[in-house]
Order: sequence, then structure tokens, then C-alpha cells
Amino acid sequence: MTGAVRAFLAAFGRSAEGTFRFVGGMSILAAHSVRALVTGRVALRDILDQGVEMGVGSLPLVLVTAVLSGIVTSQQGGYQFTSSIPLYVLGSVVTSSIILELGPVMTAFVIIGRVGARITAEIGTMQVSEQIDALLSLGRDPVSALAAPRLVAGTITMPLLVGIANTVGMFAGLVSARLTVGLGDEAFLYGARLFWHNWDLFYSLMKATVFGFIIPLVSTHMGFLTRGGAEGVGRSTTTSVVIMIISVLVLDALFPPLFLN
Amino acid sequence: MIEFKDVYKTFDVPVLAGVSLTVETGETLSIVGPSGTGKSVLLKTSIGLIVPDSGDVLIDGESVYSAGGQKLYEIRRKVGYVFQYAALFDSMTVFENVSMGLREGEADRLGKDEVVARVSRALDEVNLDPAIVLNKLPAELSGGMKKRVGLARAIVGEPQILLYDEPVTGLDPVNTATVDHLITEIAERRGVTSLVVTHDIEGALAISDRVALLDHGKLRFIGTPDEFRTSDEPLVKAFANRQAAAAAALKIMEEP
Ligand SMILES: Nc1ncnc2c1ncn2[C@@H]1O[C@H](COP(=O)(O)OP(=O)(O)OP(=O)(O)O)[C@@H](O)[C@H]1O
Ligand SMILES: [Mg+2]
Repeated sequence: MTGAVRAFLAAFGRSAEGTFRFVGGMSILAAHSVRALVTGRVALRDILDQGVEMGVGSLPLVLVTAVLSGIVTSQQGGYQFTSSIPLYVLGSVVTSSIILELGPVMTAFVIIGRVGARITAEIGTMQVSEQIDALLSLGRDPVSALAAPRLVAGTITMPLLVGIANTVGMFAGLVSARLTVGLGDEAFLYGARLFWHNWDLFYSLMKATVFGFIIPLVSTHMGFLTRGGAEGVGRSTTTSVVIMIISVLVLDALFPPLFLN
Repeated sequence: MIEFKDVYKTFDVPVLAGVSLTVETGETLSIVGPSGTGKSVLLKTSIGLIVPDSGDVLIDGESVYSAGGQKLYEIRRKVGYVFQYAALFDSMTVFENVSMGLREGEADRLGKDEVVARVSRALDEVNLDPAIVLNKLPAELSGGMKKRVGLARAIVGEPQILLYDEPVTGLDPVNTATVDHLITEIAERRGVTSLVVTHDIEGALAISDRVALLDHGKLRFIGTPDEFRTSDEPLVKAFANRQAAAAAALKIMEEP
């Protein structure tokens, strides 16, 4: 074995080990949070506070994103259509793009930027300024106090946001199709209904639930792992955002083979 | 009672190299030592905030490091911890910070009026005016005020053991005297066990039953304030009086 190959394998081994350790740490955090939840050690008020902050606070940006996604899909879809395909099919293209992919994924990206980054920075700052130590010294469990409420709030809020994003995105697509390619509302809805599966909506909300769980899980875990002052908080926030984006994309890619047949 | 049993901790360099120390119930023991020798690390190992590489710590006979989960929380609830840099929750007001010092759920049981009364009393004891500070955020307080809020948070739940990490560093003389008085008063009134890390030798000698000196990872001296004052150990002498400290500093500077 040459030195280069060996070095590569060593580096691969290290990063694989790091990944396993990270995933292991997250699993422990998730299990710990669930235990805190079922033993009633999570305050309802904390969950509500986090839910309002994530849900209501993110709504404007989620709406803007949904409207623009709807408009863009509708216009680009219309542009690609040739006379050989009936234009009402656009209704189906827009609704399924929004429901299956754009609604959950774009909303997840909004939440990563607006909520995930903030969670890591907040908990990371608490970690480096000894506030987590202070919680422990007061006999409190940081997982019950900080992680669990965010996990629950994310898991509940995200499907609600995606439901709203889906509705608004489809409506924006419909209006846009009428104004730009001249497709009437009835024709759009006819197309949408023609290829409609109830399963798609469930699939969309299932994605939302998974993203709504993984985003706070990664961001709280990264927060707790933060070391080393303001610079450390910056570093772990960046890393956290990268990991959240990759996790969402990878999970998103796992959905079709698992749930669409 | 707090028992450190042969505690070792290495970060990049060895910090604690076999520290054994017993603080008896009701005793006030102060630890002094050069900056960066691991006094804060030692204090943190006592409730598992930093886990030693080897060794154990017993709180009232119960091992911190073989206690898992719930048991560890119970041990921690016996202890009040005053952090070197206050470690206040910066998203909470002074009132919320100090009421965190009550047991989980106790605030609900006591009712708002009683909680306000207890928090105000604790703030009074550290010479802060509740009417002024109660609704302030930590960012709106001076360093010395933060420190005293941290102290109030540690004492409000009336723990049986108090760990103080430099409780008077950065305080003016009047507040230093107030805090020193408070430490002895709490110790005497409630028979509390106190472990105080400090750079204020005068204060330590005045309030402590025993004084220990930590240097290079080991305890170099442990004894009563009188024994400390009359010790022949050069480092103890440097700590015990200014002239000896100045001479030691000169020697360090002259070394190549
Ligand atoms: N979390 C940590 N990670 C790495 N090194 C640490 C950590 N905490 C402390 N140290 C190192 O341990 C040593 C002792 O630190 P400690 O804070 O206990 O000193 P100290 O005696 O309390 O000093 P001071 O009187 O200035 O507060 C220092 O060299 C410090 O760099
Ligand atoms: Mg210190």
C-alpha cells in the first residue's frame, strides 16, 4: 500500500469515525429528549414559546418563499410546454413540484437559516459562557430545559408551516399560470386533480416532520458541542448550518426510494 | 462534607496531579494559589462539571462519579455554586435568574409572592436593592453586581454546601466585606460547608477554618490561618505577605 493510499484511508477512517461519533451523540440527545418528554420533565410553556418563535416568527419568510416558488415553477413549467402536451398538465406539474419537493425543502432551508443557526448560536454561547454549567449546578437538566422543547416545537411547527407553504405556493402557481401563460383556473385545477394522490400530501407532511425533528436536533447538539469563546460560537454555527443543509438534502433523497413506488 | 480523592486532570498539560482534600461538614476552607493552577478546575470536578481523568469526589459520602442520572442531580441540588464569571442566564432577568436557584417546581408551589420575597431577601443579603435590580437583564449590570446576583442565585435555595469561585474578586472594599461577612454568617447560621477559591488572602485568613495552597497540580500546604501565617514554605510566605511576594516576583523577573 502506498503512502498516499494509506493517508487517504486514514483520513477516511477518521472522518467516518467522527461521523459515527456525531450521529451517536445526536441519537443519545434524541433518546434523552424523548425520555425527558415522557417523564414529564419538559415545561409546556417552553414548548409553546419555542413553537411561537419558530412558527409565527418564520411565517413571513416562509410565505415569501412559497409564493416565489409557486410563481417560478408555474412560469418555467409553462415555458417548457410545447403544443403536443395539453397545457392543463401544468396544474399537475406545479402542485406536485410544490407538494413533493419545494414546499418541504424550501421551508426547511428557511428554518435552517432562521431558527437552526440561532439555536446553535444561542446554546453555544450558553456553553462557552458557563451558563450550561450553571444549569447543571442548579440540578437542572439542559436537555429537558433546552433541547427537548426545541425538538418538540420543531416537529410540530414544521408540518404546519409546510402545509401553509404548500397551499400558498399552489395558489401562487395557479394565479401565475393564469396571468403569464393564460391557463384558466378550472383547467389548472382539472390538471391538478387528474394526477392527484392523497398520499402525496401525507408524503409532504412526513418530510416536513422529519426535517422539523432533524433541524433542532443537529442545531442543539452542535450548540452543546461548542467550545472556545466567540470564535468557537461562530465556527460551530457555520458547521451546524452545513450539517443541517446536508442532512435535509440526504434525507430528502432517501424519501422517494422509501415512500414513492 | 466534600472529599476529593486523588483527583487527576490533564488538558494539554497536567492541571491536577493527585489532589486529595476533605472539607468537613460545617467547615469553611479556602483554596489559594497562583493564577492558572487549576483552582476553578478543581471546584468544577466536585459536581461533575469537569470530569477528572481519575480519582473521585464524594459529597456527603456519595460518589459524584458513580452516581448516574437522577442521583447526580440530587447531589447537585445539595450544592450552591458561585461561578468565577457569574454565569448568569443572559436571556433572563435578575429575578428569573435568582429564582432558578430554587428547586425545580418549587417556585410554582410557593406562589409568586413567596418567591419574590425569597429572591428579594437573597438580593438584600448580597447588598443589592431588589427594587432596582429585580427586572434588569444581566447585560445591564456591572461586573460586581453580576457577581453578587450569581451569589444570590447560589444561596437562595439554602443549600447545605456552598462552592465559591473567587466570590470577592472585582468587588469594592465595602462589598468585599459584605460578601466575606455573608459567607461566615451563612456558614454559622446554617452549619453550611463552604469551599472558597480566592486570591484575597486577607479575606481567606479571616473567614476560614483552614486554608489550602494549590500549585502545580498539588496541594502544597493545608492548615489553619495561624499555621499559614507562620509557615516557612517559600510559596506560602509569598502569599502570606506582600514583601515576600514582591521579592518572589523580582526573582522570577531576574531569572534568564
Ligand atoms: N475546559 C478547558 N479546556 C482546556 N483547558 C482548560 C479548561 N479549563 C481550564 N483549563 C486549563 O487548566 C488550567 C487551570 O485553569 P483554572 O481555570 O482552573 O485556573 P485557576 O487556578 O482557576 O486560575 P485563576 O485564578 O486565574 O482563575 C489552565 O491552564 C487552563 O488553561
Ligand atoms: Mg479560576
